[in-house]
Formats: sequence, C-alpha cells, structure tokens
Amino acid sequence: MSTVLEQIEQQIAKLSSKAVKKNTGNIRTVADGVAKIDGLSDVMYNEMVQFPGGAIGIALNLEEDEVGCVILGDVSQLKEGDEVTTTGRLLSVPVGKALLGRTVDALGQPVDGKGPIDSKETYPVEKIAPGIIVRKSVSQPLFTGIMAIDSMIPIGRGQRELIIGDRGTGKTTITIDTIINQAKINKVGLASGDKNFRPVYSIYVAIGQKNSNVVRTISALEAAGALEFTVIVAAPAGDNPANQYLAPYSGAAIGEWFMENGMDALIVYDDLSKHAVAYRQISLILKRPSGREAYPGDVFYLHSRLLERAARLDGKGSLTALPIIETLAGDVSAYIPTNVISITDGQIFLETDLFNQGIRPAVSVGLSVSRVGSAAQIKATKQVGGKLKGELAQFRELAAFAQFGSDLDAKTKAQLDRGSRIVELFKQPAFAPLPIELQVAVLFAMQKGFFDPIDIKKIANASASLKNFFTTRKDPLLAEVRTKAALDKDLEAKLLAACEEWKSSYSA
Amino acid sequence: MASHAKVAQQFARQLFAMSVVDGAVSADRVEGVLQFVEKHKVANPVMVLKAYHRLVSIKLSKSVALVEHSGAVSAATLAAIEAAMSKKYGRTVKAKAEPNPELLAGMRVHVGDDVYESSIAGQLAALAASV
Repeated sequence: MSTVLEQIEQQIAKLSSKAVKKNTGNIRTVADGVAKIDGLSDVMYNEMVQFPGGAIGIALNLEEDEVGCVILGDVSQLKEGDEVTTTGRLLSVPVGKALLGRTVDALGQPVDGKGPIDSKETYPVEKIAPGIIVRKSVSQPLFTGIMAIDSMIPIGRGQRELIIGDRGTGKTTITIDTIINQAKINKVGLASGDKNFRPVYSIYVAIGQKNSNVVRTISALEAAGALEFTVIVAAPAGDNPANQYLAPYSGAAIGEWFMENGMDALIVYDDLSKHAVAYRQISLILKRPSGREAYPGDVFYLHSRLLERAARLDGKGSLTALPIIETLAGDVSAYIPTNVISITDGQIFLETDLFNQGIRPAVSVGLSVSRVGSAAQIKATKQVGGKLKGELAQFRELAAFAQFGSDLDAKTKAQLDRGSRIVELFKQPAFAPLPIELQVAVLFAMQKGFFDPIDIKKIANASASLKNFFTTRKDPLLAEVRTKAALDKDLEAKLLAACEEWKSSYSA
Repeated sequence: MASHAKVAQQFARQLFAMSVVDGAVSADRVEGVLQFVEKHKVANPVMVLKAYHRLVSIKLSKSVALVEHSGAVSAATLAAIEAAMSKKYGRTVKAKAEPNPELLAGMRVHVGDDVYESSIAGQLAALAASV
C-alpha cells in the first residue's frame, strides 16, 4: 500500500517540480509607445508579449537581432533593461451579446463605468478573412433609413460601402442614422414575433476622435434607444497610436462573432484616415521604410485585410462594413481615399457645397455608387425609385447648364422642376431615419406627380405632411408594403387612393 | 548619427561573423578582431566594439546554462543540466552556478533567451499574475 502512495507522491513531486520554459528579452529602448527588445528569439509575428507591470505589447518588427513591439497600456513605468516574455498567444478580445450596450477600448475592456463584461468567449483580433467558397453573394437589404441612399445607392448585408467626404459634411451622421434605423427595425421585427426576422447588431468603432464626439455619438444612440443593439469600440485621439491601430480589428472580431453565429451585424469604422495616420506613426517609429505621403508600403494591406473580413457567409450570418474616409478639399484621388475606394463595394460621396446649400444628407449622386447593393434592393423601392438616380444626375447637369441662359424649353423646365422637387424630398434631418415603407410611399407620391403642383419651397412641409398622414392614418397600408416588399396592382391602387386622400386634405 | 550607427552595426556583424568558428566564438579570432580594430583606424571604434560586444555576449550566452539557485546545488545536478541542455540545443552547453537567495527555493536556468523556471519565487510570481 505504501509503495502505491509513494508512487503517487513521486508523480506529484515530478509534476510540481516541472520547469516552466519561457522565452525572454530585455528592453533596449522604449519611446513613443514602441519598444525595441533584445532577445525574444522565439517570438512570432503579431504575438502578444508581456511587459513588467501588466502592460502588453505586440511584436510587429522581427529583425535580425532585435524585436520591435508596440505597447498597449501604460508605458511610463517601463525602462531600459526590463525583462519581456513571450506569451505564445495572439491578441484576443471578448466577444458576444454581453458587449451590446457597452463601450469598450481596443482590447475589449469596458470604459463606460458599467462594471465588468460577462463574456464567455474571445476572438483573435487579427484573423484571415473568409475565403471564396464560404461566401454568398449580397442579396439581402440593409436599410439606412436615408431616402437618398436606400433609393439610389442601396446597401446589402455583407457589403462594404465607403462613406467619403470632407470634414463636417455629415459622414458620421449617416452611420449613426443607419445604426438607429437598424435598432428601430430590430424592435419592430422582434415585437412581431416573426421567426424569420434577422436583427442587425451594430458596432461603432471610433478611431482618433475627440472624446466629446464619442460621448455625443453614445448620447445620440442612447436617446434613440439604439445603444442596446450597439457595441462602441473607442480608441480616442488621446489614446496611444497602437490602440488606434488595433481598434478596427477588435471591432471586426466583435462583429465576426455575430456573423459566425448566424446573425447579421453592421460595423462602422470612423474613420480609416485617422487609422492610417496612427499606423504611419507606428511604422515611422519602428523605422519601416516609408513611401507615398510617408505611409508604409503595406498601408493598402492594412485596410484590405480589415475590410475583407466583412462578408455574407453561406449558412451563417453577415458583417456589413461602413468605413469612413475624410478627404481634404474634396480630393478623392489622394492615397488613402483611392486605396479604400478600390477595396470597397462602392462609395457614398458627400459634398461640402451641397451641405452648405442645405442639401442634407449632402450625397453627390454623380460620384456615389453601390456596386452590389442593387441586388439587395427590395422590389418596391426599385419600382418607385428605379429611375431616380438618372433623373437626378440629369437634373444636376441641366441645372449647371441652365445657369447660363434663361430661355429654356418646356421639357427642360419640367426636368428642372422635377429635379428640384426630388432634391427637396431627399432632404432629411439628422437622427431621423425613415422606415422603408414610408420611403416607398413618399417616392410613389412623387412618381405619380402629387408634389408637382406644390411650390418648391413648400415641398419639405408637404413631404412631412404626407409622412404624418401615412403613419397616423394608413399604418395597415404601410405594414402591407413592408411585408409584401413589392407593389402589385392592388397595392398601387391603395397607395394611389391614399395619396389622393392626402392631397385633398393637404390642399384643404 | 543614425547612419553612423547603422554602418557600425554592419561592420560589427562582419567582425562577429569572422569570430565564429564551427558555430562557436573563437577566443583567438576575438583577439585578432580586437587587434585589428586597435591597429587600423576604424571609424567610430566605440560604437563598433559595443555592437560587437553585444553580438558576442548573445552568442556566448547561448552556450552557457546559467543556473540560479537557492540553497546548495550538487555537481551531479549541474552535470545533468549540462547534459540535458546540450541534448536539447544540439550544441555544447556549459553549466554555471550562481546563488540567488531571492528564489526562496528551487532553481532558474538561463540559456540564451530561454528561461527554465523551477523556483518558488517564479511560482509565486505566476500566481500573483493570475490573481
């Protein structure tokens, strides 16, 4: 009996005395959030390394006799000679529904003071994008709630649609509207008890923004009741560049969890210009060779590997990406804008001139395009707004031409009148997305000429009156449009009758 | 300044490559390198020698198993460590004992960048990190 016990004790002794191997290095220099480390001969690219005091770093430069790491966390306590160890792990962030309604940093740690996040799973921050076989073409719509976009530049689930424009042209507003609209649709869908309804969860990644802006966004989402369906990943301007560089990938990992688990998610990267700047800063400190505009050579890959992670997967869910790029003086041919334009499936270009003229959202019809979204557009919108883009583009051309002369033929004048009315109809206040059925009703009324006799200056009032009429008095009809998603003869007749009813009450 | 450092680093690497014979640093070659640097007016000699020193010390540390221990360590244990490390790394590794009472009990073996931790202090540190 005693020999058996001895055997067990020996086994315990063997186990408890087992040496733990670790690979170490020493800090040679540390500056600007980047450490150069001697040693770490076993370190892998993108591996997490442990610094003293709990700070972690990511190995980004593997050189012949030193390793360059970006440090995430407090660097003030680190000094030359400190020991650094490898962890054998890639950086991961917590994922899951527990993050909804929360604000986290680039490492997935809560920063909203609402306590710890009860998340069971983690996903790696860097992940290879889904391949060709597992993908499915984009065919389901993702409504932004913005009439100009849903009717002319439709977005589908799994699409990457760039929002590009100068500062202060309403780029962020479009994305917040979209998030609010998803929350509204989710609430209606979940309340209806429809088993086939697929809610869209949103992730908003703030990169290099002022904290006050992030707070304003959170407040807007909270006020609209959209925060419960949203995760905010914040890497504000005061954060170190490493966190700003990582934040979009962390957001993508959080979004991928929804996609992999058969749900639909929307991710907003606000904005990738600042992301590229943060990466440029890191690369320059790491002494990587710089290229055009001092960006490193792999700045295209920086964004392509991020945006490729947005997809619609066969048999699973989807991740739709709305990256934002800020241009300088409307220059879309700069380095980062052209890169991201070429990666995405289309772009919504916002013009400063239109914004200043009061045309908001300031969508430039000529320069905006959705390459895959038309396949996702519902039939009803196509029926009522199929020709809108052409008409509006023609109007802009004619309007520019008409400035030179006053003698216009009747046809041109009619086109100009109609164009001005469409422009007025598309004006929409911030944080007030329109349900798709209401958009269909308004566009139907416009197509049937109900706005033609109304003075252009009064179009906005008339449009508001029509929307009010439909929501308060024709709710069953709107519900029918929503469920059928196409206009048959019966539905068209009903819509026509409703518009006639509105017209008589409006003129009266 | 930066380019001087780069040139010195490159030169030190060349000198280091000449100092290695059959995968090990040769004392004769090192002496020869030092004489060369002294005789010929090498640009930035301090920078070159510092870089050279760093490369040589990294190389030497790979063939030495520095055994930090708390309490007595027998010659047989050191020999066993030497044998195990030589087998693991495929090169001759010499054990060198160095007492370290901060370990409380057990030992810690350094071979180049690798550290084999089998001390109470190490286990306590791991425990503290996991709490």
